[in-house]
Amino acid sequence: MEQRWANTSRLTINEKQFIEEALRSEIRVDGRRLYDYRRLTIKFGRYRCLPRATILSCKCYHLRFSLFCCNCREDGSSEVQLGETHVMAFVTGQLLQPYRDRPNEGTLAIFTEFSPMADPSFEPGRPGEAAIELGRVIDRGLRESRAVDMESLCVVAGKSVWAIRVDLHIIDNGGNLIDAANIAALAALSTFRRPECSVGGDDNQEIIVHDPEVRDPIPLTIHHFPIAVTFAFFHEGNTLVIDPHYKEEAVSGVRMTVTVNSNGDVCAIQKAGGEGILSGDVMRCLRIASLKASEMTTKIKEAVETYNAEVALKKVKRHPSLIAQKITVPDVEMKEASFQKTKELSADMENSPNQTSTSLTTTKDKDTNASIGRPLNWDPYSSSAPAIVSSSTLPELVGTSKDANEDQMMQTDEEYDPNLKKDQIASATGVSSGIHKQNSPPKSLKDAVKPKHKRKKNAERGAR
Amino acid sequence: MEDRTDGRNANQLRPLGCSRTILNRAHGSARWSQGNTIVLAAVYGPKAGTKKGENPEKASFEVIWKPKTGQIGKQEREYEMILKRTLQSICLVNVHPNTTTSVIVQVVGDDGSLLPCAINASCAALVDAGIPMKHLAVSISCGLMEEGSIILDLTKSEEEKLKAFAYLVFPNSPLSVIDKVHSSKEEPIEHGIITSVSYGAMPVSGYFDCLERGRAASAAISEFLRRSLQKQSSEDASRAAQ
Repeated sequence: MEQRWANTSRLTINEKQFIEEALRSEIRVDGRRLYDYRRLTIKFGRYRCLPRATILSCKCYHLRFSLFCCNCREDGSSEVQLGETHVMAFVTGQLLQPYRDRPNEGTLAIFTEFSPMADPSFEPGRPGEAAIELGRVIDRGLRESRAVDMESLCVVAGKSVWAIRVDLHIIDNGGNLIDAANIAALAALSTFRRPECSVGGDDNQEIIVHDPEVRDPIPLTIHHFPIAVTFAFFHEGNTLVIDPHYKEEAVSGVRMTVTVNSNGDVCAIQKAGGEGILSGDVMRCLRIASLKASEMTTKIKEAVETYNAEVALKKVKRHPSLIAQKITVPDVEMKEASFQKTKELSADMENSPNQTSTSLTTTKDKDTNASIGRPLNWDPYSSSAPAIVSSSTLPELVGTSKDANEDQMMQTDEEYDPNLKKDQIASATGVSSGIHKQNSPPKSLKDAVKPKHKRKKNAERGAR
Repeated sequence: MEDRTDGRNANQLRPLGCSRTILNRAHGSARWSQGNTIVLAAVYGPKAGTKKGENPEKASFEVIWKPKTGQIGKQEREYEMILKRTLQSICLVNVHPNTTTSVIVQVVGDDGSLLPCAINASCAALVDAGIPMKHLAVSISCGLMEEGSIILDLTKSEEEKLKAFAYLVFPNSPLSVIDKVHSSKEEPIEHGIITSVSYGAMPVSGYFDCLERGRAASAAISEFLRRSLQKQSSEDASRAAQ
């Protein structure tokens, strides 16, 4: 049965002939030129998770948390779309024992998953040849070329080092998986932050992992960006094409992947089987690849920087709301003790709009946030706020929720007027939502039926 | 009433998001998000043949669950089995006998209520693929607090703190042309329950409370599902016309 299914993804003879003929006149099926890449979109995600049991206790040493926080942000995930090809990368880190022959270095492991959703011919279970090849090519490009600095990942030499794990999920196979997966891995590694840890304790052997809320997590040191560029050859090596579509891949017998960086260094070359290529053609490919690599590196770096700027902006915005909390009247139960809770509340308020905004291309988010101009005072869980929200209407919503909250506050307590006028609306909103919860009558089943959820379809659709 | 960590009240759901047709190769795909729990589901339509041990007179389903990171373990197998049984009960299995439909679920973010999110996503993906179904399934997680109150749509931290919680799957409320008054003799379809997975020990009254609340919430979710599916299908129609 599986074989019959795999056959349906093979090309018909007509399609094959058409693609080959068109390439003779240098026309590609999707209208690109021979050396053009498809449209590249890089998205980053920040998904909240518990601090996983990533911090394992080694046999001799026990590790303790300085502050157990449930809202640890997991940076280091990216979603890359190269034309129709869709790849997701997740980077995680654990403290483990190092390899015996390299006691001072951390480890980097790359796991590739060819999800059956990407292609009808991908089967679950053991990775096939293509999956293993992809994993190896990216591994060689990233690890063996020493793109990521391993020595900075060492915590206690010989005992405990950071083991970075990159999980690549191929979601949609539109051709040229190696390039897309490579970009995804690089993007995820660039935005990955590992918690800061220090060696201390009684016998100076304990490793303390600092909570990300207390001390900023540290990025990885990436020396250079190895970019994989895949070429497909047709007509016995006479025509070569960059970034082949999956139909072009099926037609061509020969493929070569060259991993270069913007400095002009060749990190890896992979040509597995197929017809022979002239050495002159190989040199030509290398030259083209180094040009493409510098373009790609700039694109990745731009996307990463936009994302980092947005993250930094969010961080700055949190502080005024925290400071303002101290000014508010104490009988609202927003005492110091519940500071943590309000911090989490405000963190959550920011993180949920994050979810919507980071799904769009990152430049747009910067504008949206800049236009708000103050701490995100949008309370998604305020029941008086309108139910329908999409991030494209975010600035408008800020206005409406502010009005709704103002009305609320008028009703509940007069003392909060001065706060409003001081333009500390961010804090007041956080406070008011607290009051609102106290004063609201016990909820009944009817309340459950009211639509209190947000529509993120628009944002999702916009992202496609 | 205790405040939940993210500021919701007991009956409030996290922001829902649904988008269809996100993948190019898959016959149907959908992405469903409840707060930070995001699941991507893809469907490959009926392919010939059934696996060994499956009834060849009916269509069979194959579910593949892909976690975000890590190896596939028993938890994933359990989810696959639950999802398969749920989908088998809502689809019309006699329409395409001796076929296998594959549903692949990829976890993109996990912040509690993962199985309900996955069921909702698979349902939307099946609609996107055009697989014939009797009705849709909407899924919700309900937690039972110590004092007996019910909270809906649990986050991961809530799931870990609570003594008992349940994942419930209900059929979605039908949109009927006939006036409800006439058919009030029969119990409405959405009072049935398709799947229930419970964790922890809870009193019988607590379980029935969960069912009541869950059913009420499922009406809201099915409303959202219908709206998002309808809106996108009208878009598809315009694309087809071009």
